[in-house]
Amino acid sequence: MAQAQAQGHVHGDHHHSVKRYTGIMDWLTTVDHKKIGILYLLAGGFFFGIGGIEAILIRLQLIKPMNNFVSAQVFNELITMHGTTMIFLGVMPIIFALMNAVIPLQIGARDVAFPFLNSLGFWTFLFGGILLNLSWVMGGAPDAGWTAYTPLSSEYSNSHGVDFYTIGLQIAGLGTLIGGINFLVTIITMRAPGMSYMRMPMFTWASFITSAMILFAFPAITVGLVLLSFDRILGANFFDVAAGGNPVLWQHIFWIFGHPEVYILILPAFGIISEVIPTFARKRLFGYSSMVFATILIAFLGFMVWAHHMFTTGLGPVANALFSIATMLIAVPTGIKIFNWLFTMWGGQITFTSSNLFAIGFIPTFVMGGVTGVMLASAPADYQYHDTYFVVAHFHYVIVGGLVFGLLSGLHYWWPKMFGRMLSEPIGKWTFWTFCIGFHLTFFVQHFLGLLGMQRRIVSYLPHQNFDTMNLISTIGALLMGVGILLFLYNIVVTSMKPMNAAADAWEDGRTLEWSIPSPPPEYNFKQTPLVRGIDAFWKEKMAGNKAMTPAEPVGSIHMPSPSILPFVMSLGLFIAGLGFMFSREDFSNSFMSFIFNNYLVLIIGLMITFGAMITRSLIDDPGYHIEPEEQEEEVRA
Amino acid sequence: MAGNEQQPQNQAVKHRHRTEGPQKHVVVFILSIVLTAIAFAAVAAGDVNPVFTIILLLVMAVIQVFVQMGYWMHLKDKGHLMPIIFMIGGFFVASTAIVMAIYWVWW
Amino acid sequence: MTSAHAEHVNGELPHEPEKATLEGRNKTLGFWLFLGGEAVLFGTLFATFLALRNSNNDGPTAAELFSLPITAIATAILLVSSLTSVFAIQAMHRHNLQSLKTWLIVTVVLGLGFLGLEIYEFYEYVVHESFGLTTSAFSSAFYTLVGFHGAHVAFGVVWISLLIAQLYRKGLTVVTAPKVYVSAMYWHFIDVVWVFIFSVVYLLGKVG
Repeated sequence: MAQAQAQGHVHGDHHHSVKRYTGIMDWLTTVDHKKIGILYLLAGGFFFGIGGIEAILIRLQLIKPMNNFVSAQVFNELITMHGTTMIFLGVMPIIFALMNAVIPLQIGARDVAFPFLNSLGFWTFLFGGILLNLSWVMGGAPDAGWTAYTPLSSEYSNSHGVDFYTIGLQIAGLGTLIGGINFLVTIITMRAPGMSYMRMPMFTWASFITSAMILFAFPAITVGLVLLSFDRILGANFFDVAAGGNPVLWQHIFWIFGHPEVYILILPAFGIISEVIPTFARKRLFGYSSMVFATILIAFLGFMVWAHHMFTTGLGPVANALFSIATMLIAVPTGIKIFNWLFTMWGGQITFTSSNLFAIGFIPTFVMGGVTGVMLASAPADYQYHDTYFVVAHFHYVIVGGLVFGLLSGLHYWWPKMFGRMLSEPIGKWTFWTFCIGFHLTFFVQHFLGLLGMQRRIVSYLPHQNFDTMNLISTIGALLMGVGILLFLYNIVVTSMKPMNAAADAWEDGRTLEWSIPSPPPEYNFKQTPLVRGIDAFWKEKMAGNKAMTPAEPVGSIHMPSPSILPFVMSLGLFIAGLGFMFSREDFSNSFMSFIFNNYLVLIIGLMITFGAMITRSLIDDPGYHIEPEEQEEEVRA
Repeated sequence: MAGNEQQPQNQAVKHRHRTEGPQKHVVVFILSIVLTAIAFAAVAAGDVNPVFTIILLLVMAVIQVFVQMGYWMHLKDKGHLMPIIFMIGGFFVASTAIVMAIYWVWW
Repeated sequence: MTSAHAEHVNGELPHEPEKATLEGRNKTLGFWLFLGGEAVLFGTLFATFLALRNSNNDGPTAAELFSLPITAIATAILLVSSLTSVFAIQAMHRHNLQSLKTWLIVTVVLGLGFLGLEIYEFYEYVVHESFGLTTSAFSSAFYTLVGFHGAHVAFGVVWISLLIAQLYRKGLTVVTAPKVYVSAMYWHFIDVVWVFIFSVVYLLGKVG
């Protein structure tokens, strides 16, 4: 970095005139990780809302026996889209929002390693998500469950729904993979002087491991989706038993991706909790190195347990036993983490801010999900639980009780850093209590519904099976969770009307580097790259009586990358190409439509747009621009 | 900063590596050709024990890949710790998929 | 965040220009990580192929289809092209722009030769052997795996051609050097994948 700066000096007199945009064009072309983080939050929040509405509709259908609120077909579409939307388009982008907003600040970097790719990752995700959700208005949503098991998804699903699933997820998954590589390189090469790997904040560690898992898991689903779309659109035979294919292959490929994916979801939440709890206990994280070790071990084991989703497929006793034991092993590193959080709080001066409430609420809730996980890991018992509401309760305890609690904790915690305004604490506490109580009402009873034999994904049930009351309670709980989210939105609206006056160290007990710079940070983050002298770098300086970090370099001209519309254009091209591929075998009544689609013209035009933008990017060098020290002073005053 | 990944450019200029000749890479090339030829010959011969042939094919392929990645892709050079870690990770996950395909798809 | 200006060339271009800037080093590392992901991508495709390679659905089998001479020629072409891209990088480290461009052009020509051979092979299978994508699970897996590799070769050919054009326009700078280096890594990786393809698909197919 210092050397980069020196070069910046040498060439500092070169003023490249760079077009700087304002308004909507600023957001379409931005390569600033903080703005991309906000875009991820907006888009992820939007899809989270859609997924939430789908959840409420599912619960309304199940509020009483033999209900006719939605048809069976619509119900199938709702459960499929609820799962798919929440995982791929809701919570993963919100994770990326926090990673974008926080990681460069935590490691003392001015930017991410690949600002352009970062933007590309966002836009491909967004266009993939839009494509997937267009299915609602273009002939029916995917209806084969979020796992899209064959042959249900390949032979028995006749609308274009599953095509939207394969192509939409393919495009969105590309964005996720790009984002993962960007964060890996950022964390490897862009850390401030003195920040060794074992001095990185836990959220950065968790994001690093998560990104590595994304890198190794997403290519598997890429292949799976290619195979499924080839089967459906081009008539290939991967999963067609009649032509020698094998439907179990899909299950394997899906879960080789799918199981790491659930750890991709939960590890960032572990990271958030590991930041929030020490801050509000005013104690350093207990067992830092064991936390790092546990995170790596969870990631490693996460790749070797996929077949525990397939115990009832009939893999035989050897495979079932192996995967059973491997799955139970994961409880060990997870237990290490739980105890470390408890020991961090022990003897600390705990303040119960809304952020900390979510973090503390996370611990027992997640433990409950973990315990049912170990129950499910026992292959013989799993024959009883499989495809019942017990499983539904289990994974909602880990994903909602774990991940969503973690995300809400992180959003309350870093909101002042992202937006410069403190969220209202009273409303935040109301959010926590309604959401937490609503959550347990919804899902705790589902354990018992499952044990009593209520199947997962069922559209209705007969009365007098002891299902009625618990389903009613569950629906009431779901509505209460909805109220919690609405309170959070209300909090955001109220807060955005307040003056932008959050302090740099907004919680006063900030431990990591992001709290050493203004809220929100200037576009170059650090005027001078900080020198890191230990774990919890900023806390260490404060304890030594220093008000600010020691700079590792003199004030100088800062080089920034130029904004670009090309990521948007590339993603738009993929979107068009995806639609073109999906409808390439469709019988259109309109001759013009059949001409452009059946001759692959739409597909080709879309790919030409994407490749044209890629070639443009490659041919035209980006000189970027410099922010001179005088301008830095002005920005600080403003 | 990030250890090996960041060799300051001055250093690269100062200790100008001796410009390496093509010999080393030609040796790798010849080795690759030989390994490939052995594999093809084993199959063309036909009447060798199939189990032996399959093991031989895999061994030849793995050696060739190791040598090419080490020399041609410079993985054996300094400053490649992260690339090595992530390539091992990739090959490890790929191998779980291969194990799956061989043992747990048909039974 | 180093400002990567062309001026470096007129002064002292470092021995390894691809590592001169932080952008260059980031690009190389990022590409390595991408290749780690590609390993999983091809691993999953190989897994699919291995699972389905005997499901020929009364269509042609691997042993009936494959011809060792064609595979051997394709292998030789790709192996030589991998060597020529090594020579290109060595020329780049000697700052010999002319030699660099020449070796890259040779690499592209060999890549085109490989693609031509593969297209010929697929054409023969489809037209003369009635072996198309939809014939059997084996055929679907074969065309997807080998076709994915072929698509990678085609992408590499286009990419390296564009880089040659850039070298003519911009010369060797700390901006163009990492691009050339990364494309050479990509090309080697394609060759590595092909080593597994000729072993697992073609030779194993002949063994049975």
